[in-house]
Amino acid sequence: MSDLALGYLSFPVLLLLIFLRAPIGLAMLLCGIGGLWLATDGTTVFMARLKSEVFSTFSSYNLSIIPMFLLMGQFATHSGMSRSLFKAAEAWLGHRKGGMAMAAVGACAGFGAICGSSLATAATMSKVALPELRKYGYSGGFSTATLAAGGTLGILIPPSVILVIYAILTEQNIAKLFVAAIIPGILAALGYMITIAIYVRIYPDQAGIKERISYPARIKAMGAVWPVLLVFGLVVGGIYNGWFTPTEGAAVGAMGTGLIAFFSGSLNWPVFRQSIFETATGTGMIFFIVLGAAFYNGFLALSQVPQELSAFVTEQEFSPWMVMVLILVFYLVLGCLMDSLSMILLTVPIFWPVISGLDYGMTTEELAIWFGILVLIVVEVGLITPPVGMNLFIINSMDKETPMTATYKAVLFFVGSDVVRVVILLMFPVITLVFI
Amino acid sequence: MLHKATQKLAQFMALLGGAVLCLLVLIVCVSISGRELSDLAYGGALGGVGEWLIARGIGPILGDFELVEAGVAFAIFAFLPLTQLSGAHAKVDVFTSGLGEGFNRALATFWSVVMALIIVLITWRLFIGMQDKIGYGETTYLIQFPIWWAYAASLGAAITASIVSLYCAAMRVTGQRHE
Repeated sequence: MSDLALGYLSFPVLLLLIFLRAPIGLAMLLCGIGGLWLATDGTTVFMARLKSEVFSTFSSYNLSIIPMFLLMGQFATHSGMSRSLFKAAEAWLGHRKGGMAMAAVGACAGFGAICGSSLATAATMSKVALPELRKYGYSGGFSTATLAAGGTLGILIPPSVILVIYAILTEQNIAKLFVAAIIPGILAALGYMITIAIYVRIYPDQAGIKERISYPARIKAMGAVWPVLLVFGLVVGGIYNGWFTPTEGAAVGAMGTGLIAFFSGSLNWPVFRQSIFETATGTGMIFFIVLGAAFYNGFLALSQVPQELSAFVTEQEFSPWMVMVLILVFYLVLGCLMDSLSMILLTVPIFWPVISGLDYGMTTEELAIWFGILVLIVVEVGLITPPVGMNLFIINSMDKETPMTATYKAVLFFVGSDVVRVVILLMFPVITLVFI
Repeated sequence: MLHKATQKLAQFMALLGGAVLCLLVLIVCVSISGRELSDLAYGGALGGVGEWLIARGIGPILGDFELVEAGVAFAIFAFLPLTQLSGAHAKVDVFTSGLGEGFNRALATFWSVVMALIIVLITWRLFIGMQDKIGYGETTYLIQFPIWWAYAASLGAAITASIVSLYCAAMRVTGQRHE
């Protein structure tokens, strides 16, 4: 069998393993090793690679940003910032119809600025906001859906672990990707707020109103969120202005949120221990997938599949826009089944050569950034798409009274808002690329 | 008893890795401060204080880059045992959820065995890789510490990962662990 045929054959095998509940990293690693074994007629090549490549993957300076960002997010979770952010947003918006839900979205966006993970953002904000929303008469399904959707802002608004991985895979500048994600992130938050406004007009009985708060009190509530702005400005601004490398930025961020958590008094030994454990399992999980992907992509590159596929798509003279839409739809569907990181690691090495071979009237760098942000959004939609979106499960499990179906029903509005945003960003690349 | 010991081992390794990670965060932050301050001092922006700092030899930490690489590799290997024990690996279970408990249990057992074998394989290859590095006498570029030290630290962590994953596999095969 030719290497190319082996490469193509590896797709169904890999999918089969994954659907048979193999850990995704393990499935990729097995296919990578198996592929190398068959393609090179022996064990020499993959055994030699295992000797050095596992260590070099784990000791990669660029990838070391990931455990640091996870640590930063863990400290942020215990910093009390989620409460301050929600209180501040609530002070300004709480008295409006649906305002508390909007405040929750706003607070999620703020928290996303110091946390690079969706699940962590959704879970942390829910602890603070869910009881409040329920207290003021917001329906269970609407509250959980709002927070599940708000959680996706955690990954969209930089810093973002997924964008780091994407940047490494496509050899792009992490700082530029972070900056490009800011406007789409703000649009996402606004879009969710508009969605909430529409929702409460359709179902007025599902949301309550909180008493109006005086302006001095509002300003005071705003004052409590300065550490968030400081850390975000330092990390993202510092990386963007070239004061430090992305890894150094992540270290500064971990230090910053660590100090905030420490001075808030909540970082005692059990909490610190728990933060380390969460960082450990998160890191272990991510790096096992990264390792599997390194081997699998190594084999794919050897088999020439990405090049062949890219050449094939270019030859067919499909409309570039058609290809883009098809890929994004593919991500939307796959996103309902698989976690976003595995999906990115599995597909970007195949899709990026295809996309970069087509003409969208922009430079390769612009194209990579624009495509990256679009992909980031569509994979995140998977987190809130019924029936298997991860965020939905996490949040729903925190509110015992609300049936899953109620969450499903309400979250569809937010999924709709996501789709509208993707279409807008697709039609107007300049929104993403304005600062590049 | 055995479970308790394995859990303690995995948690201890995670904390050790976490301590190294926190130390790296600290090293990087000190190094950035040193670098930025020395830039300012050499630019003359700090006046007399700047000259005093320069006389003290202010600057970035030599080879912070290399320390991060060596440290983070150890931390990640040290995080694997807990990842393994808590079953935190990402998987897709929608397709098999309807196929009955027995079938799913058999799958989980099968994959835990494969996982254990792979981790043992990785550990063994890491050991061979370390021997290569000892043989070549390779050192890092700036600090010039032998690369095999970093391998050795990671190897220690990888061995605990092997122990923990073999334990997980054994528990599943003998039917003492289900979830």
